[in-house]
Amino acid sequence: MALFNTLLLGLVALAIPGLINRTRARLAGRKGIRFTQHLHDLKLLLHKGAVYSTTTSALFRIAPSVYLAAAAVAALCIPGGDLRPLLSFEGDLVAFAYLLALGRMALILAAMDTGSSFEGMGASREALYGALVEPALMLVFGTFALLSGYTSFAQIFTSEGTEGAQTAVVLLLAAYILMKITITESGRIPVDDPRTHLELTMIHEVMCLDYCGVDLAFIKIAGWLKTAAFSLLAADAVAAAAAPRWWVAAPLAMLLTGLSVGVVESAQARNKLARNTTFILTVVALAALVYFTAFLLQRNISIQ
Amino acid sequence: MFFLYTLIVLAAMTALLFAVPLRAKGLTALVLIGGGALWSCSMAGGTLLKGQQTLLWLASGPLFGGDSGSMDTLSALFVLIIGIGSVASAAYSRGYLAGELPHKSPAHVSLHYTSLVAMYYAMLGVVLSDGGYSFLFFWELMTVASFLLILFEAERREVRRAALSYLIMMHIGFILLLVGFVRVETATGSASFTALAEYFRTQPALPLFLVFLAGFGMKAGLFPMHVWLPEAHPAAPSHVSALMSGVMIKTGIYGILRTTAALGELPVLHTAGVILLAAGIVTGLWGIILAAMQNDVKRLLAYSSIENIGVILIGIGVAALGKASGNQYVALAGIAGALLHTVNHSFFKSLLFFGAGNLLTAVRTTSLDNLGGVARHMPMTGMLFLVGTAAICALPPLNGFVSELLIYLGIFDGIASGCDTLAAAAGLAALALIGGIALLAFTKLYGTAFLGAPRTHEVAEAREVDNIRIAAMALPLAGILFVGLFPGLATAAITRAASFFLRTPADAADWLLSPTLQTAGRTAWLLLIVIWALYRLRRRLLRGRPVSEGPTWGCGFTAPNVRMQYTGESFSEGLQSIATSLTQNSGEGAPVQKGEIFPRTHSFDIGHRDRIGRLFSAWWVELLRRINARVMRLRTGKINHYILFALAFLALVFLLSLFNLI
Repeated sequence: MALFNTLLLGLVALAIPGLINRTRARLAGRKGIRFTQHLHDLKLLLHKGAVYSTTTSALFRIAPSVYLAAAAVAALCIPGGDLRPLLSFEGDLVAFAYLLALGRMALILAAMDTGSSFEGMGASREALYGALVEPALMLVFGTFALLSGYTSFAQIFTSEGTEGAQTAVVLLLAAYILMKITITESGRIPVDDPRTHLELTMIHEVMCLDYCGVDLAFIKIAGWLKTAAFSLLAADAVAAAAAPRWWVAAPLAMLLTGLSVGVVESAQARNKLARNTTFILTVVALAALVYFTAFLLQRNISIQ
Repeated sequence: MFFLYTLIVLAAMTALLFAVPLRAKGLTALVLIGGGALWSCSMAGGTLLKGQQTLLWLASGPLFGGDSGSMDTLSALFVLIIGIGSVASAAYSRGYLAGELPHKSPAHVSLHYTSLVAMYYAMLGVVLSDGGYSFLFFWELMTVASFLLILFEAERREVRRAALSYLIMMHIGFILLLVGFVRVETATGSASFTALAEYFRTQPALPLFLVFLAGFGMKAGLFPMHVWLPEAHPAAPSHVSALMSGVMIKTGIYGILRTTAALGELPVLHTAGVILLAAGIVTGLWGIILAAMQNDVKRLLAYSSIENIGVILIGIGVAALGKASGNQYVALAGIAGALLHTVNHSFFKSLLFFGAGNLLTAVRTTSLDNLGGVARHMPMTGMLFLVGTAAICALPPLNGFVSELLIYLGIFDGIASGCDTLAAAAGLAALALIGGIALLAFTKLYGTAFLGAPRTHEVAEAREVDNIRIAAMALPLAGILFVGLFPGLATAAITRAASFFLRTPADAADWLLSPTLQTAGRTAWLLLIVIWALYRLRRRLLRGRPVSEGPTWGCGFTAPNVRMQYTGESFSEGLQSIATSLTQNSGEGAPVQKGEIFPRTHSFDIGHRDRIGRLFSAWWVELLRRINARVMRLRTGKINHYILFALAFLALVFLLSLFNLI
């Protein structure tokens, strides 16, 4: 079962970028690139050699492996609906967040290692936004723990505490916040725009300017895994409100992120950088609000 | 008589250190500390294994009569922390001070080493005393010894200033503790920690608890009494900073732990838990936000010590809340997390301060703006510092993660079981934010100081330090790796030490925590294996393909130089724009004018001073000055104004008497 869950997660991770691209193309009325284009790009990258900056040290060469390993191990904690993930223990919520932090640190330090001011810029922004989004993530996890009475993902999404119409509202709100966190963490519009080539405004992409070939492929896969893990979490929250089954959660994860990111990217421009902090702090405030609502529900306090 | 012996032993050690030749003083101090550490740590290990209390001394005679000292599991844990930290510090000091020895008089060096040895034994005395005035005696000895240690470079003005402010603040704390112990003695007839528990049962507990919290908090660096830390650590030599930050401030935590444990299971424990949690949140957030803004390695590390004290206090607060509401699991996870974090912090903070010391001897600066690319020229220092950096950010697979996981576990379990959920949520959000900003602060530190290109030629010519210092750094490194990779084993010792606070038998405690810790340990190994496998895969893929080197991509700009790298100041600019109200920001220096076609030399100085620091040292002076300025406005020097004032005064008297007010 655990292996099937891992397989499912990999599938979600591979499908989401294609789905985003197709959605964007459809909405813009373009023919667009094919669904599997990102896989072809990946294959291309994996067959290339490498050029390294003379300023960089060994850390720069190890960082992509650390980033990918951290993202992969973190993703192993996430269940799909009622499936049991490979890694599951009390407090795996914390391990998930801190493994992603490890990956973030590896990438930030690699960016600083190049000595480029552009990459420093991206690194500093990534560090700040990552720090600000952390309380939101933890508060959402806290909400899950409060509703279900458990402290590991696998138990949370299969517990009986998450049933009922009232908790469904809270779970949907939590899923909404998780979607916003997904957007922030995977560097999509409105926080960051992966398509811009104006380095001054970029965050995530600018950190990888000096990477190519295999290293860049690792970074890309890690990004997909991260996005998939967060989407699956959001989908789990939605599924827990209705039917906590893997065949609900996994397709929902693809559709939720694929469609919502695609639609948002077609309709909206990216934020001014100064607005990003406000955007993320709003997410934190929302998370606190959702936690408080869950608390009131738990106490059976109804608001007239 | 016990204290007579203590003084004789101290005098003998002093005489020995003054007598040996200059080159051998470091080694003598190391032997003196190492011998004591071997003896005390083996005893502590035995105590932790058996889990029972042994009486060490019982003083008789007029001075301190009746005071006793004993080793229980909590003392044993702190004896271990003190032993490892002090031995590493003494070993490190030899290489660190080697360059200084020719400039100092032998008496000066002897005094320094005497203070180091006295400091070690004073700290041992603090954690082994059962309270009372002998506790205060050792406490004061520790303060004086650390004061002398800070003063090593007394010819610098800022060192004297920092040492003096340290001494003053420590004595305010000392007076608070004295008041506390005297109050306990008048009420119960004895001043030990057992008597404190008795006092809490019979008298209103909260006021005295707050007095002790403030007194111990002064040493620990509790907000807003933390202001001495960021001044004293940069002023002290690096091995002293490591000892003070890694070990000495933990004696404050020790005191807070004893005081909280003395509250027993009284109803006031809940209030105390909320106070501790709130204090931890404020201290942690304040410390880490200020740390992220510093541009000096040692100041940044000092502020991060404040943050870690905050994290420890959050753990203690969670434990107190759990115990007050009868939830054993929450209490156990909280207290185990707090204790383990105390141990962990002593490891990685020592390591990091030693790293800062290496920078100071090799490059002669700790200012981030003058470093850069150090890892290339000092590879061992760079690697060790990187491990310390990752550990202090609580990242898996290192030790910081294990202790923070335990604290989080306490919080999450509190939420899941529905007790004190709002307080727990506050702790949760704060801990998450602290973790995130710690990552920002330390990537800033490591990224600007150790990575990139050298900003000055001193860095480019830097050499790696001697092997003894690297060995001294390897001691805390071993601790970091052990706790990180074998969390189950490490926590077994911690749960035994937690028995002072909880009545849970240690076996039951292990049983509660071990499933999580074992899986966490396995996750750490899995992570390492996956990293290794991916790295191998990458090398395999690159084999036989063209791998070349080139300049960093400059986005089309053809003449980049090292000064264009992102600086520490710019790295934390985003955070500063949010947290601007926490600091007093100053920027000095004239910008380049429009008309300057060939700009002259310009210098800029940007500073972020702690708002509390000013508030604490000079707020009344400032107030007096302001009142004075207001009053001075009345003194206009014009006779018609003075007649007007007289008239106004008469009118006031008339009005007041009209309403029968005077």
